[in-house]
Amino acid sequence: MSFRRKPLKVQHSIKRVVLDVLKLRDPPLPEFASTLCSLPNVEDVKVSLVEIDQNTESVKVTIEGRNIDLDNVQKLMKNHGAVIHSIDEVVVQKESSINP
Amino acid sequence: MGSLNRIINRIRLYIKITHIGDIARRYFVQNGMDGSMTALGIILGSWAAKVKEPYVIVMAGLGACLAMGVSGLFGAYITEKAERRRIIKDLEESILSDLDDSLQQSASEFAQVLAALVDGLSPALTAIISLIPFIISMFGGLSIWSSYVISTILAFSELFALGLFLGHVAGEKMIMYGLQMVIAGMIIAFILFAVGGYGAV
Repeated sequence: MSFRRKPLKVQHSIKRVVLDVLKLRDPPLPEFASTLCSLPNVEDVKVSLVEIDQNTESVKVTIEGRNIDLDNVQKLMKNHGAVIHSIDEVVVQKESSINP
Repeated sequence: MGSLNRIINRIRLYIKITHIGDIARRYFVQNGMDGSMTALGIILGSWAAKVKEPYVIVMAGLGACLAMGVSGLFGAYITEKAERRRIIKDLEESILSDLDDSLQQSASEFAQVLAALVDGLSPALTAIISLIPFIISMFGGLSIWSSYVISTILAFSELFALGLFLGHVAGEKMIMYGLQMVIAGMIIAFILFAVGGYGAV
């Protein structure tokens, strides 16, 4: 009788990301943040105004959650008239699960 | 129920993004006044000319309603479409990205349709309200002369109500705005009776 160790599957999930975003002034920040918060796996969204222009706003967006899908975030932002300038901070968590 | 709430919230967001609420309000009052004034002109003109057939007045009024409605619908749609295109292009330049299939694009299309509906329906609505007594008269419910009096009162009431609404918007004395609108209507009455209506009443 032999005990074979089951392989560990290690996944990396993004739990926090800070983005530098250029967005249109409409939708306003509360609506913009609420929309981002409606994404799956997103638990907290913080949007801070950095600079304001005639048509646009530069904002710092902090998203926290489990296994955040950056592609989804980018798509939603584009759909709401916002573009990601840079990813300023990422926190990734190692999540291991035992493969059957 | 949930989907209805979602639709209402989406419409509120569209109105907020496009600021179409203010524009639609202006369209509503301006064109509503157009409708009332046109109806008043038809009613008083017919009265001055001693038209005794309510059918003639109703058809003339409905023709004017239809013309104003269609003109408002298409005129506002095309005007708003051009304005919105320009705004979208400006916004695209601001963020150096296209806004195809974006919230702004959808909101912009919604604004065009809303502006067209308000612009087209408001004059038709106010004109039809003034013509209701003549429609009743067509079916023998009212005498033609009673219809003239009631329709004139209705048209002036509409003008007064629109003025009250404007006063409410301005946050000033509503009655003063109402009276200003009534005076505008009285100018039509005065000119019509001065020009050719000696035989009226």
